[in-house]
Amino acid sequence: MSAVTEEAWDELSLSPEEYRRASGRYRHRRSLTGYLFILPYFVPFLVFLVVPVFWSLWLSFNQGGLLDSAKFVGFQNWREIASDSELTLSIENTAKYVVTAIFLVFTLALFLALILNRYRRGSNFFKLALYVPLLAPAVLVGLVWQFIANYDFGLFNLILTTLGLTRVNIFGSGTLSLLTIVLAEVWRGLGFWTLYFLASLQNVPEELLDAARVDGARGLQRFRRVTLPLLRPMLLFAVVIAIIANFQVFDTVYVLTQGGPYEQTSTMVWFIWEHLFQFQQTGQGYAAAVILLGIILVLTAVSFWLLGSRSRRRRRAA
Amino acid sequence: MAASSTHVEAAAAAAPSADFARAARRHRLFGLGKGTLAYAALILFAVIAIGPFVYLLSPSLRQSYDLFTFPPQWLPHSLYLGNFGAVLHQTSYLRWGLNTLIFATSVTAITLVIDTLAGYAFARLQFPARGLLFGLVIATLMIPTAAILAPLYIIVSNLPAWTHAGANTYPGMVLPMVCSPLGVFMMRQFMSTLPEGLVEAARLDGATEFQIFRKIVLPLMKPAIVVLGIFTFMFQWVNFLWPLAITSTDSMKTLTVGIASLQGQFVTNWGIISAAAVMTMGPIIIVFLIFQKWFVRASMAGALKQ
Repeated sequence: MSAVTEEAWDELSLSPEEYRRASGRYRHRRSLTGYLFILPYFVPFLVFLVVPVFWSLWLSFNQGGLLDSAKFVGFQNWREIASDSELTLSIENTAKYVVTAIFLVFTLALFLALILNRYRRGSNFFKLALYVPLLAPAVLVGLVWQFIANYDFGLFNLILTTLGLTRVNIFGSGTLSLLTIVLAEVWRGLGFWTLYFLASLQNVPEELLDAARVDGARGLQRFRRVTLPLLRPMLLFAVVIAIIANFQVFDTVYVLTQGGPYEQTSTMVWFIWEHLFQFQQTGQGYAAAVILLGIILVLTAVSFWLLGSRSRRRRRAA
Repeated sequence: MAASSTHVEAAAAAAPSADFARAARRHRLFGLGKGTLAYAALILFAVIAIGPFVYLLSPSLRQSYDLFTFPPQWLPHSLYLGNFGAVLHQTSYLRWGLNTLIFATSVTAITLVIDTLAGYAFARLQFPARGLLFGLVIATLMIPTAAILAPLYIIVSNLPAWTHAGANTYPGMVLPMVCSPLGVFMMRQFMSTLPEGLVEAARLDGATEFQIFRKIVLPLMKPAIVVLGIFTFMFQWVNFLWPLAITSTDSMKTLTVGIASLQGQFVTNWGIISAAAVMTMGPIIIVFLIFQKWFVRASMAGALKQ
């Protein structure tokens, strides 16, 4: 210890030993405070989130358990799932739904955001109008779409008959039913994504666009060469978040099609729900839940990797 | 010579200006065309967004059998209010509304308290394994209820008696929904932006950690708390899967579950359904118009906007 520090110690009324003990006590109390602050959150967090995740894994090797006690069956559920084409169909349907819905909603939202960003007059009204469907629960959105797609009195079929055309039995066709679910969810999400993209567009520096304009870049060129590259990191992240959210589509399926016709609109969550609470084939439901869990965890990791690479880039730029 | 030179000069001067005028006219025309198209598109999508809700008014004001007449009636001939009466008297609509209010408010209140405490600890307090525990929270950020539905159901059915939880109980509905990691994440992000010196100064003045939290941090957190509160409430009042799984009696259903149950297996009274939808959307749209700024902010916060 140098002479200066020695002097500093002398000035304290505590000896180094006492000081160390006091600071240890302080650190101990500080840790205790920290744990006390997170305790109220961590009790429900552990009981209702962390434990259920591992329990879910364990249940995938069991059958029953919801109304009776669970029975260990080894890999039977997984074998069943592997050979059951219905889960494959559900995953396929979900993938089809996710791709179509995200493609549609992102294209439309980007288009509307670009317009709103350029034409500011009255944009407040349009923003509010687009936001309204988001206020409705997905269940209600499903019911609203019954009034559009129903065979007897749906708006779509009423317009067809008024034009002298024949009605279309939308819910009799798997493809059309899935498309109806896609449209219902796109309708619900359009306002959110429009506002999201609008916020990102407003972060594009005006100077860059002006510079491009001076260099003679036309509207579309400016969008492709300046705006889009700047938006790309945000877009990637938004796509991942949207995939995660849309992978769980259930409410509209429940209200519009109940997975029908012939499981043509059965999605992953619908499959889980059906097997757990309607068919009493809990084993397959448990295994499907683990698959869903895996997919979501991978997507979460991807989204954080994207966020990380974004901030790494920003640090490099700075 | 002089005349012709003037002529040439005039022509030379006129040519660009004519070009310019033509270009300007084209630009104006084109610009107007684009603007008109843009507004046409905006109006179209605004109509698509609001139209279906307005259209719902029509079946809600008609007898159900009226829906099936041909040629179709677009507007009701006479206003029939029976559907609204039926919603109030033949279904448990008001009870569902009350359940939804109790459910969403309880989840929101508990979430706000525990998430701000945990968020503060993760942002400003030192304790062993802090990073590890926060990593655990982050890792579970997106886990869907559907993936843990069965264990949740089993756990809630087997909670100790003092919690009064179980199927068809309020605690059973509320408790599993209070631990969404997103709130903790949001609160921590927000508290990390508060100046550290503020907390340090209070600590040097001898304030306890809880005093610092209550007197200094909380008042500064107000905007974030309001945003998290609205976000949580909005998220929970539309919640469907968990209330559907945990409630089976009519009197414990939430609005979403109750309205979905109006769609019967064999006979569906569409007049009643549209009336219930109108009754649900009406108040929400009014509340939204009053607090629109906060709504938009809250829903954007939910997208993990960095």
